[in-house]
Amino acid sequence: MAAAAKAVTIGRAGFEEIVRERQSMVFSIAYHFLHDRAAAEEQAQEVFLQLYKSLGELESPEHLTRWLRRVTSNRCIDVCRRRKLMPRIGLDEVPEPSIPARATDPLLSRAIRRMVASLPEKWRALIVLKYQEEMETEEIARTLGMPAGTVKSQLSRALDFLREKASRVLGEIS
Amino acid sequence: MSRLDDALREALRREEPPEGFAGRVMARIEARKERAGAWDGLMAAWRGPRLRWAGALAGAVLLIGTAAYQETQRAEGEQAKRQVMLALRITGAKLDLARARIQRVGYGLGDR
Repeated sequence: MAAAAKAVTIGRAGFEEIVRERQSMVFSIAYHFLHDRAAAEEQAQEVFLQLYKSLGELESPEHLTRWLRRVTSNRCIDVCRRRKLMPRIGLDEVPEPSIPARATDPLLSRAIRRMVASLPEKWRALIVLKYQEEMETEEIARTLGMPAGTVKSQLSRALDFLREKASRVLGEIS
Repeated sequence: MSRLDDALREALRREEPPEGFAGRVMARIEARKERAGAWDGLMAAWRGPRLRWAGALAGAVLLIGTAAYQETQRAEGEQAKRQVMLALRITGAKLDLARARIQRVGYGLGDR
């Protein structure tokens, strides 16, 4: 009832503006998770449909952003678990770049994205929220409902794993 | 800040969704609202007195129809039972008649 009331207050144009302002955040979380633009768009659309129904629960723009990050991450974790997407991109399939890697190299970025997409879901969520959304440990912990200590240790393990694989596939990167 | 941090930040930059994304979201919301609206309309009509009376009338017609059908079935069953009993009585009478004739013929042969 509150959601319906808020949706009426915001109106169609208002909600469309919310979508436009936050579409790149939601789509990118899904894309970096699923490594598939069509699947990412589908999940991002579902997140906004869910948002439309849940507007009444949200109290501020910050709350809205937090809600979107949490729902998108959890939805992507569920999708990955359901589809067993993780084995589709094995680390051995990551192509070796033909030219030396630089930090802004598109080939390097593509290889890194594929490596991230091959991580276990929870690690992937931590990496995407930390490096795409530039979130702090405590914020990630609140978003994913994990203890901050767990986030810190899991993030460290995920980074060690990525560093090792990146150095194997791409040469020294640390 | 390590090179891996930089590489991750670069690789995981936000990207825009395909063109027309917001429009497609709004279209899906509108479609859902229409579906919900049609359902709400039906429920509102049901709450109105006219459709409620129509529903009650339809229920009554259904009840009367069912009762009439059951009565017809029962009457047809009774009639069939009566016909079977009559047929059995006629058959019994014919058999008695035949037995009496056979007995008469038998006595006649014995007399000779």
